[in-house]
Amino acid sequence: MEAIKRSFIRFRRTPAFTGCILFLAVLVLDLIIQGPSQFFSAKSLNTLFSKNMPLMLVAMAQSLLLISGTLDISIGIQLALVNVVSIMTMQVWHVPMIVGFLMGMLASLIASALCGFAISVLRLPAMLASYALLIIIKGVNVLIMPKPQGNVPQEYYRTYDLLIGGVIPFSALFLLAVILLWLYLKRTKFGRNIYAVGGNPRNAFAAGIDPVRVQMQAFLVKGFIVGLAGICLTLMTASGNPLQAEDYGIRSLSACIIGGLGFGGWGTMGCAVFGGGFLVLIQNTVYYTFTLLNRLMPALKITSYWQNLVSDCIIFLGLLMTIVTAKAQRETLKQGFVKQFKRGERIDK
Amino acid sequence: MFEMRGIEKRFDAVVALKGASLHVEPGEMRALLGSNGSGKSTMVKVLAGLVKPNAGEILIDGKPVLIRSGDDSRRLGIATAFQDLSLVPTMTVRDNIMLGNEPRGVLGMVDDRKSQKEVLSLLERFHIDCDPDAFVQTLMPSAQSMLEVAKAVRLKPRLLLLDEVTASLHRDEIDVLFSVLRELKAEGTAIIYVTHRMNEIFEICDTATVMRSGETVAEVSTSETTLDTIVYHMTSQQPDAKVPCGQEEFDPGDRELVLDVQNLAMFPKVKDISMRAYKGEIVGICGLEGQGQPEVIHALLGVTQPDGGQIFFQGKQTHYKFPADAVNNDIGFISGERNVEAMFPMLTVEENIFAGKAAKGPLFAYIGDKAVHAFAQKAVDTYNIKAGGLRQPASSLSGGNQQKLVVARWIAMQPAMLLLDDPTKGVDIHSRREIQKILKQCAEAGMTVILNSSESEELLEIADRVYVFYEGRVSGILSGAAKTPERLAAAMMGMTREACGPKEAE
Repeated sequence: MEAIKRSFIRFRRTPAFTGCILFLAVLVLDLIIQGPSQFFSAKSLNTLFSKNMPLMLVAMAQSLLLISGTLDISIGIQLALVNVVSIMTMQVWHVPMIVGFLMGMLASLIASALCGFAISVLRLPAMLASYALLIIIKGVNVLIMPKPQGNVPQEYYRTYDLLIGGVIPFSALFLLAVILLWLYLKRTKFGRNIYAVGGNPRNAFAAGIDPVRVQMQAFLVKGFIVGLAGICLTLMTASGNPLQAEDYGIRSLSACIIGGLGFGGWGTMGCAVFGGGFLVLIQNTVYYTFTLLNRLMPALKITSYWQNLVSDCIIFLGLLMTIVTAKAQRETLKQGFVKQFKRGERIDK
Repeated sequence: MFEMRGIEKRFDAVVALKGASLHVEPGEMRALLGSNGSGKSTMVKVLAGLVKPNAGEILIDGKPVLIRSGDDSRRLGIATAFQDLSLVPTMTVRDNIMLGNEPRGVLGMVDDRKSQKEVLSLLERFHIDCDPDAFVQTLMPSAQSMLEVAKAVRLKPRLLLLDEVTASLHRDEIDVLFSVLRELKAEGTAIIYVTHRMNEIFEICDTATVMRSGETVAEVSTSETTLDTIVYHMTSQQPDAKVPCGQEEFDPGDRELVLDVQNLAMFPKVKDISMRAYKGEIVGICGLEGQGQPEVIHALLGVTQPDGGQIFFQGKQTHYKFPADAVNNDIGFISGERNVEAMFPMLTVEENIFAGKAAKGPLFAYIGDKAVHAFAQKAVDTYNIKAGGLRQPASSLSGGNQQKLVVARWIAMQPAMLLLDDPTKGVDIHSRREIQKILKQCAEAGMTVILNSSESEELLEIADRVYVFYEGRVSGILSGAAKTPERLAAAMMGMTREACGPKEAE
């Protein structure tokens, strides 16, 4: 009992706490609205994972950047870049889809390297630089693929929608792969270095770490994860569209912040998973609530536009809540600090 | 073994180091001393790879080396514990100590079990009572300082640099630290120790290098020298520790008490400050860097709220939440950080002068062009400020004239009390004289002036009384005949501490 209590207290101090609570709350809500039997049915679970995997992966990629003290808004349109490059490589050169995916991954790495160069090496403000890059990448996308077109071989998207053993959605494997990657990276020197650089670049430099190099590395790892996300998006939509997913940049940021990530060295990729899960389940819950309402009261005739408004308002409330909890954490920290200091003074006298 | 020769460093126009030198042998503990702006911290940063010198060479074992980054410095066997700490507050104690030098385990992962063991033994060696998994930002400052040293010692350096690490430590912690340092010395580690606590030098250091205005002025052996000699080298004044400390030495006559600060305490720099200022008086605040001077000014102004003590202004206790409250209560503030805190470089000279007045009064009141011009013109005429054309942008003025402009702004407001935080920093000698003249005029007209300055000569010249700060407490109050450079030097070095401040625990 004592041990459980202690580990709960420790968990409460970790950055993922708010995100986890929000995620669990909305999960319970969703279960109530949808009913457990329907929620856990293989089909609905599969749809949930396969439709939202790109967002989850992008949020996780973004969390890596936030930890190392930078960010990238163009991350959403980079998904479209991977999508466009993959489809067009296959269409123009008549090569297997898998080669297209490799090219897409390469494109994602190049875009991330460029973004990293502009932000870390040239020291442009991350917000502005990545916004400029967003517009540039959009232009490149349209050059490569002027209008939505193309399709993915059937066996590929069938595989993506597969349920392994009838239980585990195939798309969840992507999530698992990135989580494993994070668990590994976190325990390497690179993992420690991104926290140091995000927390205080000058002190990291004094400890013999090159902040520019570490941020560039973070951008490349992010490029890899975005590449995976782009592949998911391609498999999910089974076609190419140069202008899709732009809002994923902002949504990944809000997922991270709701999950409890601070700007620079505070939080883990788990925060992004919780935050992303929160965003996904809120939409799910609101959708089912509205269907329920429409069924119970057909006279109301609520359009789907209301759904977005309501879910976005709830997301906004979630963001507000993170500010409140962060402030509370800071206050208790400061109080403890002063208390310790005063005690120290008494010893002094 | 380690030698620095002819090191020069310029930050734009400011010369921090001009031909400074330093050498230290294995097993030697050398104190690096100097007062404000002597360049001792810059020397440490050069060795740590944070500052690149413009000229000069660094020799290790007689061979010249290049130190361009923290990584280079570490590879040459140099470890540094910084004054402002190089810990990352959002990381755990363990990760901080191991940072940049983690033990490798399987698959290139960090071997956490190994580092845990190492960290625990290190914490034990330094008697630091904390959880290795605690975040550094939750620790108290003294534990953080000890960690900073522990982190440097873990690297098993050939040269250990300690930059004012004892500033926030308590006596028992210092004893632990010193015993570790003695062990290291016996093992043959060279140590450079920067401090402003003179008694520590004689307690633990073998030799001392004294710096003044970027030059090395003396190298002495601590067993063959006295405190007075060292202070003489640092300040070029023979110290005189007979400093009067109480208020009773000063007779205010029938002048009105304007400011009364009682036992002000502010975490973590200010510990116990009491001071008074009377109408028409220039009160100087002085001390080595980082003894709490700017913090007190900020508390008076309401930028930060004190943790203890009271401030009475014109007989009423103040509870300012924002500087705007202070300004509305007739307090003016002039900062040394012109560009950051006081100037609007794109606005014209007259708009800059008017800015202080604009801060008062209703928000949407109409402010006419002519009113601004007349107000500025009057201020310029009254105090003879030669500040270029009134309609030119303020950024076109020189540094000295910009500072005069800021002074003019507040003088024109005629506040009852004017606070100045190092107003003559980086200001040419001519403008400095004019600013001093203006301040004197104001005081004669009945304004109370509180002047914090890093230039001690300036204070001795124009202040009626000088409060000397040392480690967050008043170490001396100089007035009248006691206002001599010798006594000031003694008070700044804390040599009067036994006589003035509360006694330290045995």
